[in-house]
Amino acid sequence: MKLERSKEWWLERARREGDVVIGAGLLARDPSPEARPVAAAEENRIAFGKFVNLMRRRRGYSMEQLAERADIDASELLVIEDDLHYVPGPRTVYKLAQTFEVSQQRLMQLAGLTAANDVGLRQEAVRFAARSESVQRLTPEESTALEAFVAVLSSQEPKRVK
Amino acid sequence: MAEASLLYLVDAATGEGVEGELRDAIEDAQIVDWQTKWQPALIAVLQELDRRGVPVAQWPQSWHWDWRKKTAAVQGLLAFRGFSVVAAGVTQGLAQVDLTKSAREASQAGKPLVYVDYLEVAPWNRPDLGQPVRLRGVGTALLSAAVALSEEEGFKGRIGLHSLPQADRFYRDRCGMTDLGPDATYQGLRYFEITPDQARAFLKDEE
Repeated sequence: MKLERSKEWWLERARREGDVVIGAGLLARDPSPEARPVAAAEENRIAFGKFVNLMRRRRGYSMEQLAERADIDASELLVIEDDLHYVPGPRTVYKLAQTFEVSQQRLMQLAGLTAANDVGLRQEAVRFAARSESVQRLTPEESTALEAFVAVLSSQEPKRVK
Repeated sequence: MAEASLLYLVDAATGEGVEGELRDAIEDAQIVDWQTKWQPALIAVLQELDRRGVPVAQWPQSWHWDWRKKTAAVQGLLAFRGFSVVAAGVTQGLAQVDLTKSAREASQAGKPLVYVDYLEVAPWNRPDLGQPVRLRGVGTALLSAAVALSEEEGFKGRIGLHSLPQADRFYRDRCGMTDLGPDATYQGLRYFEITPDQARAFLKDEE
């Protein structure tokens, strides 16, 4: 296809364009290399890692001690607390739920092992993850956040979306 | 083989005309330019915004895509009909069109049009990234190509597109397109069309 116009025609239109942004279609939207929106599953995983970390510290366990009590591998605990993308095995989550005395079903969701269709849990997980910081000792705020989250994890009747 | 038309853009720094080509295809060279020149230029801007602590909500557009998705989608452009503007040896703008859609505007409803599926100019030609614009006229040239294709296809110049939020004003005020409002089926982007009358005015040979 040819579009033949004079130099003046093109220049006149180019000048008329001025300093405006021109773009169309979703593909023309800019991607975000670092500020990619966090997916729901990822939010839950962040909360899971923080939850294990804070519960361990609240009980005064080292990683080795918790691993021994829960009968799980200490190296897996390290990955759970530090790697947001790691999905632990069902047995590990079951053992952690037993040790921390919270709902196994909900901890499974939080760990990404079962579908996270519980809106209430997800909201609580986000709130919890946002409030907690990984420092040596639990701050009063972290303790409050942890206790509130333990209460949510301990309840047995998740709110279903559908 | 792509057909090329001679065009002129405006060097924003000097105001002088710059010769270029309007090509009726997107070819490998354009994808290579996108990956090796556009992408690094945009990433540099994003990193600068991040470094200056500008909140994401205030960044130029809605940042929904991740790079892997966008790269795969841009590579897919090779399979469709498209246009590219090349000047100074570099791709300055890209557009992909779809000829299977119909008009929505009341007087033209159901009639075929050229739907502009994608239109983007190189990051250094965008005024919203906080850097001086290099070339003006790239977006207008791609839009002109879509209208000309519509005429060639017997669609009387009808085109449709979903505008990026920052471009709404351009399509409405500078191009005289009909604003059919936000499209809930397309992430709320506003949908615009050019009718045959508007197309004639848009492509009018000489003033």
